[in-house]
Amino acid sequence: MSEKKSYAEINEKIVRGEAVVLTAEEVSEMGKTLSAKEIARKVDVVTTATFGPMCSSGMFINVGHSRPPIRMERATLNGVPVFTGIAAVDLYIGATETHPDDPSYGGAHIIEALIGGEDVELIAHGKGTDCYPLRDIRTKINRSNINEMIMFNPRNAYQNYPAAANSSSRIKYTYMGSLLPNLGNVNYSTSGELSPLLNDPELRTIGIGTRIFLGGARGYVSWTGTQFKTRGIRNQYGIPEFNAATLAVTGDARQMNTEFIKAAYFERYGVSIFIGIGVPIPVLDADIAERVMIRNEQITTRILDYSNPDHPELAATNYAELFSGEITLKGRKVKTASMSSLYKARIIAGLLKEQIKKGQFTLTEPVSLFPRDTSLHSLEIR
Amino acid sequence: MKQRLVLNFSSETVREPITYNLIKQYDVVINILNADVSHGKEGKLLIEMSGPERNVDDALSYLERKKVVVSPVIKTIRFNQDFCIHCGACVSVCYSEAITINRESRRIEFIPENCIACELCIKACPLQLYELNFGNN
Repeated sequence: MSEKKSYAEINEKIVRGEAVVLTAEEVSEMGKTLSAKEIARKVDVVTTATFGPMCSSGMFINVGHSRPPIRMERATLNGVPVFTGIAAVDLYIGATETHPDDPSYGGAHIIEALIGGEDVELIAHGKGTDCYPLRDIRTKINRSNINEMIMFNPRNAYQNYPAAANSSSRIKYTYMGSLLPNLGNVNYSTSGELSPLLNDPELRTIGIGTRIFLGGARGYVSWTGTQFKTRGIRNQYGIPEFNAATLAVTGDARQMNTEFIKAAYFERYGVSIFIGIGVPIPVLDADIAERVMIRNEQITTRILDYSNPDHPELAATNYAELFSGEITLKGRKVKTASMSSLYKARIIAGLLKEQIKKGQFTLTEPVSLFPRDTSLHSLEIR
Repeated sequence: MKQRLVLNFSSETVREPITYNLIKQYDVVINILNADVSHGKEGKLLIEMSGPERNVDDALSYLERKKVVVSPVIKTIRFNQDFCIHCGACVSVCYSEAITINRESRRIEFIPENCIACELCIKACPLQLYELNFGNN
């Protein structure tokens, strides 16, 4: 048997219902007894998944034209401002946009409500033009009476993310959750060995056009995510030790399911949204098999101190330690917890596995691979 | 028997070694779960008291004589488990082991008996699934 498989060969097996599909956790377990070469021969596809808070998310909607028509220049949905700086009745609901009177309610809640089929109140204003004479409108919209609902998330599925603690004497409320004073806890956010970009650290199979599971529906990787970075320290398994690659993803939100899209509010930080993402990885050769065999103890990350805006490094750790629920930090035992739901990520990886096994989900070769050598600018104040 | 009580000390009683006397003279087990002394020197102590029924009764009479106002714990936390997405944001702030994550299933488990109503989970939960309940247990 050939040492390499093509996308076409794997897809033929999927369509015949003969593909061997495992979740990334299952293949990591298998990797304890089998070699990468053996796994490459045995396994065709590995499913990965994550279900974490991903602020850089949102949804384009087209609400349709009224009679007389209006060019919406300011608009709110249930009181939450939405972006109108595009065509007359195209709106972008940013997940983290908040209601002016209620910081715990925002765009994420509107997105969840629309996906869930609820009515949402639209109030919009335009200056009135010759072609769009109506100046004010107030009505109700829902998923059945508007045109498109396109989720477009500029940055999801971070490849790795440092864990957080707080050495100050006061509790800190952050996007990494409540950080207790005096290094009282450590919070992290990943699905670890099940996480998409940690199973393809060199991005050999995930690129523009990759078909994925997004929020319960089919979605696609549309571009590199913002703040995409490939340069930086990597460990001996090729895993970046800090935040690195990201994905921009898109999909038809009308097909999505609120089981996999959840609005969230982080105390004193603001609104965010949990997004369920699943990415299939074709086991094309032994190198990819080696990557998907990665285990939590091999995935390293750092613990940063959120008491200081520069987030200085406190310690290095790995996800086996973090997932154990307790870690020794500066000589003390400290509780650890995740901001990302491994429980949900497992459900997604399992669903995707079943869809592929049944021949309902075939794999796509990226239309274009991601850049290999990128770094980030920081914002200079001048 | 075991009960969870809030002891309210006035500024006159706050200096008495009440817990020492409870343990020494009435042979009850006292576990201090939370303590709070306000600026006016009034204090509140959340304790768990256990021991034979008779000892507990005697201890309660002693507290009454010392004019310590004893009230059963009325603050409890309610968890809306049905809507939980099992992230974990509440787990690392819970030091009374009321909220844990199952190592195998990775589901959040809430044990009300362990809860000392410190309220940290209320702000930690990104879905606002923890609520403070007033009213008797």
